[in-house]
Formats: sequence, C-alpha cells, structure tokens
Amino acid sequence: MENVTFLDVTQMDGTTKTFAIIDRGNGEFTSMPKADYEASTLPSELSTPTTPQAGA
Amino acid sequence: MSVNRHPNTQGVTIKQWRYTATGGETTLSGTDGFSQSLTYTPGAEEVFVNGVLLVRGTDYTASTGTTVVLNNALVAGDIATVSAPSVFNVANSIPSSTVTAKGDLLVANGSASLTNLAVGADGSTLVANSSSATGVAWAGPIATAGKNFVLNGGMDIWQRGTSVAFGTSTGYAADRWAGIAVSPSAQTVTRQPTSDTTNLPNIQYCARVQRNSGNTSTNGVYLYQSFETVNSIPLAGQKVVFSFWARVGANFSAASNNLSAYVYYGTGTDQQVLSGLTGQTTLIGQTVQATTGWVRYTGSGYVGTLPTTATQIAVGFQYNPTGTAGTNDYFEVTGVQLEIGSVATPFQRNSSTLQGELNACERYYERSTPGVAYGKYGQAYYNNSSSQVVCNVEFKTTKRVIPTSIDYANLRIQQNGIGALGTISAVSINIESTTKLADLTVTIGSGATNTLNPIELMNDNNTAGYLGFSAEL
Repeated sequence: MENVTFLDVTQMDGTTKTFAIIDRGNGEFTSMPKADYEASTLPSELSTPTTPQAGA
Repeated sequence: MSVNRHPNTQGVTIKQWRYTATGGETTLSGTDGFSQSLTYTPGAEEVFVNGVLLVRGTDYTASTGTTVVLNNALVAGDIATVSAPSVFNVANSIPSSTVTAKGDLLVANGSASLTNLAVGADGSTLVANSSSATGVAWAGPIATAGKNFVLNGGMDIWQRGTSVAFGTSTGYAADRWAGIAVSPSAQTVTRQPTSDTTNLPNIQYCARVQRNSGNTSTNGVYLYQSFETVNSIPLAGQKVVFSFWARVGANFSAASNNLSAYVYYGTGTDQQVLSGLTGQTTLIGQTVQATTGWVRYTGSGYVGTLPTTATQIAVGFQYNPTGTAGTNDYFEVTGVQLEIGSVATPFQRNSSTLQGELNACERYYERSTPGVAYGKYGQAYYNNSSSQVVCNVEFKTTKRVIPTSIDYANLRIQQNGIGALGTISAVSINIESTTKLADLTVTIGSGATNTLNPIELMNDNNTAGYLGFSAEL
C-alpha cells in the first residue's frame, strides 16, 4: 500500500519546494514535486482510451 | 548488311544482298560486294533491279534459298538487290507460363536463358548472389536501425525491475511502457519469456499485463507508450503500419477475448497519452479476439496516414476485464513496431544493439544499481544542517529534460569516521540540476557534521539499493 507524505525542501535560491515522498513498501520510495504527483493521479477520463473499437 | 526492322523486335532483321551487274547475268548467288552471302527464306524474299520490285514467279524464280534466277538478263551497271528478312524464331519468345504467381520475376540463369524466380517473403530484398543459379536471391529483410519508432518494443529493457505493480498514478514498467491502476495492487506488469522458438525465435521477452488474481475492478487495463514530440514529427504526413505479437492467459476475462490496440496522434508537445493528448485522435484502432497462442497482428487495418500537423504519437494496448480475476487474467505483448510504409516488416528493435536500446530508454529514465553492499553513487556535502546533505550524481545518459522524479531504495548517507548518518527520510532533486547532473538534497535524521570528513551517498549494507531518475513524459 502506498503511503504519501509531503516534505518542504529549501532550495539554493532560498525558495521552498514541496515534494511528495511516496513510500511504495519494501523500502522503496519515489520522490517528485507535489504538483507533478497531483497531476499524475488525475488522468483525463475523457481522453484516456477506454472504448475498444471494432475491427481486426 | 543487316538492318533492324524495329527497335522493339530485336529478333527480326532484314538482310540486303546487293550486286552490280557486269551484263548478261540471269542468276544471282554467292557473295556481294559487301561480303554478304545471298541467303533467304523462299517466299519471304524481295528482289529489286535498279530499285524496281520484281514479281515473284513472273520476273524471277527463288526456290533454293541461295540463288535467284531472273527471267531477263541484267545489263551492265544494273543493281540487283535481294532483301531477305530473317525468320522470327518463336523458340526465343518467352511463354507467359514461365511465371506462375504474382511477384515472380524473370531472371537469367545463363547466356540467352531465362527462368522464373518466385517472389520472396514479405520484406525481403533481392540481392546479387553468385552461388545462386540465377545470380540473384531473396535475402533479408535488410536490418535497418531506426525503422521501428517504438522504443523497447521487444520488452528487453526493465530498469525498474522485472515485476512492477501499477499504482494509482501513471507508472512505468518495462522502459517507456506506462499504465495506471484505478486501485492499488490491482495490476502487475512482469517480464516473461516468449517461450516460442517457432514463431518468435528472435524475440526473447514479452510484457505480461495482469489483473491480479482475485481483483474485482473492471476498469480498463492499459499498457501504452507515448512518443516524445521530437520522435513523432519525423512521422508526420507519413503512412505508417503497426504490428505486434500478442497472446492472453487462460483466464483472460475480456468479453470475447477482446484485446484492443491503438495508435493515437495529437498536436501537443511531450504529453502522456494516459493523461490525454491535445487533439487526441485515433489513427489505428483494432480489437482482436486474442488466443493463448502467439499471433502477430498487422495488415491493412493497421495502416494509417498521419496528418502533417501531428506532433504526438502514442501506441498501446488495453482490455476491459470482467468479473473476478482468475490466476491468469492477463495479456502479453511484444515485438511492437510502428514503421513507415504499408506492409509490416519483421520486428526489429529501434536500435541496432541492446546497448543502443538501453541508451535510448535512459533518455527518459535511468537507474543506477551498484549491486554490491555500500556501492556508491556520489560524493555528498554538508548543507548547513545536521539533517541535510547535498549530493551530486552525474547521469549516464543526457536526459530529455531535467528529471523531476526520483525513485530509490536501501540508501544511506555515510560520513567517514562517523558511519551512517541517521535514516534517509527523503531524497529530492534541486533546481540546480541539469539534464546531465542531478543535484540532490538528502534529508536524514541528524548527524551530518561540518568537517573535512568525506560524506557519500551509497547503498546500505545490502545489494538491493538503487537510485533512479525519471524524465519521462
């Protein structure tokens, strides 16, 4: 089960950036900007191909 | 002398025998003044005296093939001409039955000798071959690196591991191949051997996309690859053909065993099809009734012409599961190819070598796996805090864009003379990173000191550590 936490990291220019730290279990993690994480979890239902077409 | 009657009837010639009389001759024969012997086919000859055509049987007799007897003797200075067309040799014509099927070729197998060369296999090429009786032979197909615009179409590269569970955000399994699950732990993608040396002797692996046993979600199961714009534009305006090998598991749950394959295009830039392409349009959409045996799917229904405005292309597969997943509710695909043309040629990787294919994939994602305990990734530095260090890691391959996503496992920060510094709680990529180098902030519990003792990012005390960078779409 994934467990997501958010972490603020101060950048060299003094700004703060929020990262999503995704704990995938078994000691495996993925880190990405929070905005990217949120975008990747919201696929477009309208554009995602879901309807098989006739043919073959 | 000989004169061709027509350039398209090379076998028919007119031989002219010309003689200047000394007077009194009634028989024409022998060699003329141009070293030409008089020969003719009786009945086909034409005899002239001073340009006037004589009448056969009335003015002369010609029956021997080598002499002509005139009824009136020539006078001195008369010019007698015998025009003799050669016999058209029917034996040298080529009967149409020499060729027996479409695509057959007539080729020489010796001097003045022709034979049939049966058409070669799809995609093969005619090459010179001195050991062949005809001097030519069908060969190939000629391997052409780059003809296949699908990266990792042979499912050879699995940097993220050979078994990957899709989560609720878009994730990747085999390099460049993405999916998304509606619920966690619903789908797993694994590398499998094709195990078919008859039909796929040159493709070792496939991707198995499985709805996990017992899962009841009936949302679509996807496996898609989105092309980067820079790799899509070379196909704009081109006719392309899609081909792939597929089979399904014994418990494949889609209605009628329907497995769908798509080629989409769009007009955006570097977008992921699972999140939607700008102006997304179906170029090729086919649903096959897949079987448990490997079948290569292609043909006229898998051909389409991309508009010149296409800047994005995506290819992939999906099915809509039903009921509760059994143990083998999956489909497998490999040998995925999108190429220019209207006839699919045998599968070939995008790159001519496996290393080339790996490098092409690393443009989007690369993972370092030292494979040894305490294997090192790079030098780290104290960052004005006992709980943070900064570490630079150089990429093996220049990235498409500056990576934004990192995945990692079993890492530690160690400072010489002190040992492991706390526990890593986060690794994040900083804005100072480039497409060639990652500048990382590693957050640890505490313990980093501002001393000259070197600090390093390394594997923990096991061999399972890795550090991956994603610049995927």
